[in-house]
Amino acid sequence: MIKLYDYLLSVNCYKQRLLLSILDVPYERVDIDFYPGWEHKGAEFRKINPLGHIPVIDDDGYVLWDAHAILVYLASKYDPTGSWYPVSDPRRLGEVASWMLFAEGTTNTASAARLHVSLDYDFDLEACQAGAHRLFRVLDEHLWFQEQQGQEWVASGESPTVADIALFPDVALSEDGGISRLDYPALRRWTERVQRLPGFIDMPGIFPVAKAPA
Amino acid sequence: MTITDGRQTEPAIGPADPVAVDQWYALTALDEIPVGRAVRTKLLGVPVSYCRDHDGAPLAWLTQDSLPAGAPVDARTLDAPLPTMADYGYLWTTVGEPGGALFDIPETAEPDRRILNAGTFGIFTSGPRAVENFLDMGHLPFVHPGVLGQQPFTEIVDYQVEYRSSEIYAVNCLIFQPKAAAASTSGQMVNYTFRVPHPLCALLYKSTPEDDVRLDVIGLFVHPIDDGRVRAHLFNCLLDTVNTDGQLRRFQQGVLAQDKPILENQVPRQLPLDPDAEAPTRADKTSNAYRRWLSDLGMTYGVVASTQPGL
Amino acid sequence: MTAPEPGSLLHPVASCADLVPRHVVKARLLGQDLAVWRADDGFINVWADRCIHRGVRLTVAANDGAELVCPYHGWRYSNRSGNCAYMPAHPSDAPPRRLRVPAFRSEERYGLIWSGGSPEAEPPRLPHLEADDTLVLRALPVNVPPDLALQGLHECSYQLGPAAGDAASISCDSAGPFAVAVTARTGSTEEIVVHFVQPVDGGRCVIRPVMRGTPAAGRRLSILRHHARQLEELRARLESSAGSRVTVRGPSTALEPLPRPSTTAASGRAPQLEVSVARKWLTAEGIAAFELAPMSGQLPSFQPGAHVDVHLPNGLVRQYSLTNGPGLTSVYRLGVKLEPDSRGGSRCMHDSVHEGDTLQLSEPHNNFPLRRDAARTVLIAGGIGVTPLLAMAQTLERQELAYELHYFAQSDDHLAFGEVLEPLSTGLVKHLGLSPDQTADEIEKITHDYGAASHLYVCGPGPMIEATRAIAGGSGWPDDAVHFEYFKNESELHDTSTFEVRLARTGRTLMVGAGISLLDSLRDAGVDMPSSCEQGVCGTCMATVLEGQLDHQDVFFNDSERAAGNQMLTCVSRAAGERIVLDL
Repeated sequence: MIKLYDYLLSVNCYKQRLLLSILDVPYERVDIDFYPGWEHKGAEFRKINPLGHIPVIDDDGYVLWDAHAILVYLASKYDPTGSWYPVSDPRRLGEVASWMLFAEGTTNTASAARLHVSLDYDFDLEACQAGAHRLFRVLDEHLWFQEQQGQEWVASGESPTVADIALFPDVALSEDGGISRLDYPALRRWTERVQRLPGFIDMPGIFPVAKAPA
Repeated sequence: MTITDGRQTEPAIGPADPVAVDQWYALTALDEIPVGRAVRTKLLGVPVSYCRDHDGAPLAWLTQDSLPAGAPVDARTLDAPLPTMADYGYLWTTVGEPGGALFDIPETAEPDRRILNAGTFGIFTSGPRAVENFLDMGHLPFVHPGVLGQQPFTEIVDYQVEYRSSEIYAVNCLIFQPKAAAASTSGQMVNYTFRVPHPLCALLYKSTPEDDVRLDVIGLFVHPIDDGRVRAHLFNCLLDTVNTDGQLRRFQQGVLAQDKPILENQVPRQLPLDPDAEAPTRADKTSNAYRRWLSDLGMTYGVVASTQPGL
Repeated sequence: MTAPEPGSLLHPVASCADLVPRHVVKARLLGQDLAVWRADDGFINVWADRCIHRGVRLTVAANDGAELVCPYHGWRYSNRSGNCAYMPAHPSDAPPRRLRVPAFRSEERYGLIWSGGSPEAEPPRLPHLEADDTLVLRALPVNVPPDLALQGLHECSYQLGPAAGDAASISCDSAGPFAVAVTARTGSTEEIVVHFVQPVDGGRCVIRPVMRGTPAAGRRLSILRHHARQLEELRARLESSAGSRVTVRGPSTALEPLPRPSTTAASGRAPQLEVSVARKWLTAEGIAAFELAPMSGQLPSFQPGAHVDVHLPNGLVRQYSLTNGPGLTSVYRLGVKLEPDSRGGSRCMHDSVHEGDTLQLSEPHNNFPLRRDAARTVLIAGGIGVTPLLAMAQTLERQELAYELHYFAQSDDHLAFGEVLEPLSTGLVKHLGLSPDQTADEIEKITHDYGAASHLYVCGPGPMIEATRAIAGGSGWPDDAVHFEYFKNESELHDTSTFEVRLARTGRTLMVGAGISLLDSLRDAGVDMPSSCEQGVCGTCMATVLEGQLDHQDVFFNDSERAAGNQMLTCVSRAAGERIVLDL
């Protein structure tokens, strides 16, 4: 069974839990005392991941770290429909890769602001917030134009991809870092679409949405 | 680019409220303080720093330019040291002149208690909003569903609020909880007692499956960075021989992380003390008592003071 | 010309397309934070973004299609009225009507939602645009004050020109105090885009461009992209010239919310609101259905189980339950069965009340409240008794709470409100054509296993209610778990006694003589008692009893409540002895 080295309040760990839940893949959680124990920085954990960060998965001896890399692996291996990581469609795959890189930016700004506010991480809060707003403007415009073309997800096509999973918590928890989504109505609609996906699970801090009308 | 963090007011430049100033505040958990290196924060808007010296003794001082964050600290060269106490696992300090000692938690003297800081989290809210949320039962089925409450069992039956030697007690607070304890197989009514011994500290007493008589004690100690931003410490004083520290922390941190976005979406951030400013019901007796108590104390920091006379 | 006060106008706050189902749009106008949402019936609510209970923003609430549900304590607020519909901490209380989220104007025009504090103002009507043929372009929030944005729009009209054709001649004119119209002409074709500026607060605005006409499908996307790009460039220039930081201050203008629904204060049995019969139809054999719409404004809110007094054209006053589920707030929907021995009530409703007529009503009263914290909820309806239970079933269905609705009727043709029953698939059980004995057997089966936190609600003919109470009681259902509402009081009323009443609060004493009700005596003495049915059914005229033995003649109280002897219905009940003391 997959082992996920996990911390409840980590957005990057949550991305894995979310995808595993949507794909209905069983896994075992190994809770890391991220704070205040800083267990992931300790010598023991560095034997698993020398970079000292989570999430890490161990799938029957195959060890992989880096949140977005794990998403790619899990979708490729455990999604029989091939839609979450669309390797058979080069154009969509390119878009997915592009938005996954974009998600590194939202993680390093929006989610960094969240770590600063919540856990006193030594980041420049205003710079993180300003950076997140720059990216959110781009993403909101992209999603608005997607809607205009009848598209619901960040990459084109009928169904969501790992790019949606990679971006979702950075956006959905942005207000934890003092980043209001007042100016991003398309972003707010998209987060609710993600929340209505079958198999969706939340993490602390995400408000429930009403179910879609019948 | 406009940066807004949703503040309703500018932070106070300095403490103007003697009630808030003349209190001890928990700055941080003792075992999370770096040794010999300055950590900067604010207390009631006042820049303060802290560390532990090489003997392990906690130090706090009014922040001085010569000691930036991370700088090595020599206790003998501090310009403006602040009084400190090491109690209940936290470093307490003050920027005023507290009249008395810190409130007592007698349970902490029991040798078999597990005392730990389950976590400290920064939240964009005021101290009184954070404390009121800790005292609130009606939100448990909605904000902590499946753990501390369960819909549709949402009724808050009548309970009693008392003042005992200038502290607030709310007793016989009953709530249906699906997983009151690790060993529970079905839901049950759980009996809470709340205690407010300090304007920004509150305690919760709750029965435990490990002892028929004694109660678990869980506390919220608020460190007000300013009147719209806090660090909330989750104090645990438990009779638990089953769970690891990590498990206890995961549970408590998950609960606080569910409360955080609620607090950050309350408008205004400061707690309104005017009885008509919000719409309390019978279930809100404890918070009504808390608001009145703050009003009677003359607290003005982190609140919207009541304009009504005779309170 | 002096510019009008921004607060005296309506401004756009969202585009209609933003209001997708089950969503709450976050908006801000003149410093007022707004929660904007569309209910399943299409009504658009523009509310203050703040739960009145503990101040939580309602833009984090869930829109269930009929109500907004605050995530903090689950308070529910109704579509249209903004009234609190339910406080989960008090499952058996009807929230007072004063508990209401401030609501603001909401108007649709040019594909935008307009709001503001003025009760009279209308969205602008521009010669540039036709109301029902526009293309809403991408709106852009800009971090500069509205006047700077307007100025910028005026100065760069050339950039905001058409998506195709270089040879256009471009002109720009003011289209009101908060809009700039840009017109581009090439030969005989003309392209017009009006840029509305939504004043967010002192330092921010949203530019909302709307284009006249519907472009060919093939050009639509390129037009949208062209204008979005032009506006992006304008925004970059505006924000960089305004400086890197704009300080946002608090509200500049306080927006005035809409007044609460106006009704006459409750007094005695006088009507409080006027409605018109919007629709009347035969919903089942012998059952007429009515939809009553307000003459103006919103209808007062109500909870499942509530009834209204209808003041009939013939002078009679009758109580009818509201069948409305939580989604239906635009009309009150009633069902009236034609009683063969009608004393004039149902006959009048069937024969003399027509679509378009005006009727006088009381506000809704609820003496048959539904708890929503039960582990099991059983609703038992006999015939027309289904009406309050329909409201309950729809409420429970909407909140995804389990329930059973047992509907006893003569035949399929006698089942009322089929269109409401249809979606209640899971909870509805029909029992058709049963004899009284067979009915009792069914009720026995339904109620035989009582479990904790179970509640039973029964409404129907008197004998059926009696039977259900007896059977459920026999199966261990406690009195406080069995809720009932009679249509009428069929017991023989006695009013021959005389007794003395002391009013504890005022210290007065009065005598009630034979042939006069306690209610009438109280009113004669100047006590303004509310009442509704005046036959011991509805509970509206209840008084608290401090001393004295009671002669209960109502069908409202259960046996435990009667035995407790601390409450009475003043319309039919009397003192059993010579004297009672009331808390009045």
